[in-house]
Amino acid sequence: MRYVTVQQSARTVAADLLARRDAAGTSLVADAAAVAEAGYAMAQRFHSGGKLLVFGNGSASTDAAHLAVEFMHPVIVGKPALPAIALNNDIATVTGVAGRRGFADVYADQLRTLACPSDIALAISADGTCPNVYAGVIAARERGLLTVLLTGNSGADGRLADHLLVAHDTDPAVVKEVHVTIYHLLWELVHLLLAEPAVLLLAKQDTAAVPA
Amino acid sequence: MSEVQRAGLQALYPFLADDGTPAGSPAERHEVLAALTESVARKATEIVDLRREMVESCGDQLAACAQAIATAAGRGGRLFTFGNGGSSCDAQQVATIFLHPARGWPVPAISLTNDIALVTALSNDVGFDLVFARQLAALAKAGDVAFGLSASGGSANVVRAFGEARRLGMLTVGLAGYDGGAMATAGLVDFLFVVPSSSIHRIQEVQTTLYHLLWELTQRQLVASESEVGGCTS
Repeated sequence: MRYVTVQQSARTVAADLLARRDAAGTSLVADAAAVAEAGYAMAQRFHSGGKLLVFGNGSASTDAAHLAVEFMHPVIVGKPALPAIALNNDIATVTGVAGRRGFADVYADQLRTLACPSDIALAISADGTCPNVYAGVIAARERGLLTVLLTGNSGADGRLADHLLVAHDTDPAVVKEVHVTIYHLLWELVHLLLAEPAVLLLAKQDTAAVPA
Repeated sequence: MSEVQRAGLQALYPFLADDGTPAGSPAERHEVLAALTESVARKATEIVDLRREMVESCGDQLAACAQAIATAAGRGGRLFTFGNGGSSCDAQQVATIFLHPARGWPVPAISLTNDIALVTALSNDVGFDLVFARQLAALAKAGDVAFGLSASGGSANVVRAFGEARRLGMLTVGLAGYDGGAMATAGLVDFLFVVPSSSIHRIQEVQTTLYHLLWELTQRQLVASESEVGGCTS
């Protein structure tokens, strides 16, 4: 009997958790235009020879690695491999920089050496409070990279990055799930547009305005 | 490019059919972005529906699986997670949310894709199919949990790891897609969750929700049973 009770209560919990995900997922539908703009700008950068540098802490570090492997080794046969590096993967450098300069510099330090102005920096911070991720975005902007920031519903400063894509929830698990969908959609948009490069010349690069 | 792909592009970019909009004009850019936005919105809706359909269809199994993981953890069991490519990132995520949760009780968990020296050594010397099974043979014991992910369900090294896990007497939990592939037919997985989609991306997105729910439900079980978790048992 106890087992049945536990199962019923778990089902109720699962229904609540699902309702929360429905709301966050539906918010993304409303933000589709922002995702499309970011995907368009990223495709322009790849088309002109740029590479993707992606980074995040903890759970988001696995998203960074996931996005890098998607671009480097496309799941759909026939799609071109695109250059991408997850900055959190090099544990020797991350712990080395953290030890010498502090954890806040682990991504900015790598960006200053590895990044070219034509590149894309994509940063992921679910709770919007990661100083090293923000430092990375700032270093990327200083070098002229296109900057894309994925964050949660925590009021990240929209002026920090060229494209701010928000998962509308505060639970880090829900935010991550929406982020996975967002970067999969960005990947799909990039490949769709690179297959038809004429459409990338419709406007000057990176026209998405940064709010004043 | 296949005919289907070409038709898809025509649908996405109606201006390719020459509707008289001047080439390269702001109006044309607006049209392209509007078409892309529609495509994004459609897929974002698709994932909301697929996630709900999946969780509603396997709610009892999720609850039973979480209870089994909590019971194993309460008896000193540890989680070993594994997968390839994008699923290796999920394996790392599962390990880190159990080991270092933002809230709740930590549960000992190890991702078998983290040690690149070991992964390349085993792949080079023994073969990639055994890269997870060999690690389980050395690290795991009866009462531990093997947690494997494969979007296709067909990853040979994941299936081999479940075989080793069964031999050791571990609880086995698997996440797959499509029709479950070899993970379904091999009959080695105690709790198998198959996401019924043919899109790798949508499968991975639903799998992310499934392991988050398993973590959440496991945490609630641990609190309910006031289990002592963690510590060295071997």
